[in-house]
Amino acid sequence: MNFYPVFLKEMIIFKRRLFRIGYLFSNMITPLLYLIAFGLGLGRGISIDGVAYLAFVVPGICAMSSMTNSYSWIATSISVGRLHFKTFDEYIVSPVTPSDIMLGEVLAGVVRGMFASSFILIAGVLFGAGFPENPIFLVAWVLNCLVFACLGVISGCLAKSHEDTATFSNFFIMPMAFFCGTFFPLDKMPVFIRVPLSFLPLTHASKTLRAAFLGEGVPAVSLGIIFAFFIILFALGVVVIRRVNR
Amino acid sequence: MIKLVELTKDFGHLRAVDKLSFHIQKGEIFGLLGPNGAGKTTTVRMLNTLTRPTGGEAQVAGFDVVKSAFKVKQLIGVSPQEVNLERDLTARQNLHIHGLSHRMEGIKKRVDELLNWTNLSERADDIIRNYSGGMQRRLLIARSIMHRPQVLFLDEPTVGLDPQVRRLIWDLIRDLNHKGVTILLTTHYIEEAELLCHRAGILSHGKLIALGSPQELMTSIGRFVVESLDNGVTNYRLFETREEACNFAQTRGENVRIRESNLEDVFIKLTGERIGQ
Repeated sequence: MNFYPVFLKEMIIFKRRLFRIGYLFSNMITPLLYLIAFGLGLGRGISIDGVAYLAFVVPGICAMSSMTNSYSWIATSISVGRLHFKTFDEYIVSPVTPSDIMLGEVLAGVVRGMFASSFILIAGVLFGAGFPENPIFLVAWVLNCLVFACLGVISGCLAKSHEDTATFSNFFIMPMAFFCGTFFPLDKMPVFIRVPLSFLPLTHASKTLRAAFLGEGVPAVSLGIIFAFFIILFALGVVVIRRVNR
Repeated sequence: MIKLVELTKDFGHLRAVDKLSFHIQKGEIFGLLGPNGAGKTTTVRMLNTLTRPTGGEAQVAGFDVVKSAFKVKQLIGVSPQEVNLERDLTARQNLHIHGLSHRMEGIKKRVDELLNWTNLSERADDIIRNYSGGMQRRLLIARSIMHRPQVLFLDEPTVGLDPQVRRLIWDLIRDLNHKGVTILLTTHYIEEAELLCHRAGILSHGKLIALGSPQELMTSIGRFVVESLDNGVTNYRLFETREEACNFAQTRGENVRIRESNLEDVFIKLTGERIGQ
């Protein structure tokens, strides 16, 4: 196991970005806009299954924000490092294994995803939506970041141009952000929509995060499915890294 | 130290490297010369485990580059054609992370030593993004030898640098070689190869067309060249001795120049192409 240099490099870059005010601000602004528009604006006075909409939507937006941030940071870092700056070659000629690279990058994605989405939880407290009641929330939160960081590595390694990661994001990540139970419950959706959605990881992440946030019974099956996604995507990522530059 | 046996690489229908076979001895500086697209970089990339060969075999320090790739990675240093340092990290951080990748001990001391060696100590904590091309290239070489490799791959180490900086890099390369590092260098600067290399191989269309010391290669084509300008086209004639060259030059009248032959003449003689085209 020698993932630390990979992780450390990403963390140094991350730390450097943090000191740029614009970067920090843009991290906070997008999810806060969603929270204000949907939670405080549209959702004022609405309740879903007896829960205030704000408390319903905070864990949803937390799932969404941790997904996009874990994914895009890593996907961009790898595709640019591979295609433009060739820094990925330095990994390949060094004695670090594909699983070292995978682990280092994925952990960096988790830090990034949790950092960005923690602003949602803070805003949730400030706006009176409350705080996660069940510690399982943390488990699901980390798992969700892991899943999408893995996906970030895979798309970063497969991209043939910088635009590819954006295309992948538009076709997979963005639709998930809206349809996987982030803003509205899926129970009332027609079966032909609900069934395909149940194959997507974010559906289970937002379900678990919401249940843990509200202190309801945690859906063990969903938690297991996210975990399975993580294991499969991690293994796939290692294979994909091994094939880079062939 | 480096051994190639019919090493081949195809990209689709294009054969970039064609059954290349040669050996590089321990302690040697070996130059791989040829025009752009001759297969130099592809050859180096197969030897340093970045690209998988389509056919043939290659060994570095006794280990197969495919079957024992991990072992090879531990023993080699790589300084690629594009400067691939982490631009958002400082010089010190770049070296430190490289040391960690190689599980080195005494990283701090080694980093200071290398920064000193490359004359970068004063700027050690600046971000690479703000470095000049020459400074980046020096740091790239420093990083490639951080873990004290036995074999060093230098792909076009002085491309685009001004003359003073090139000389500085040449000194670094010779210094490393004196310390026992075997070096494979690719270049299309002829004087660089003549000055540094113990032996050179010339590649054309993925094939090795000549191999020997610069002296041997130049002697093989004739030590003297008569350049004459005929109707706006320069013609080159090669001669064994200065007398023969002078005699010929006298028959040509004006617009002639006699000089000693160089590796570029070897190249033109063998391929009909000029290096760098």
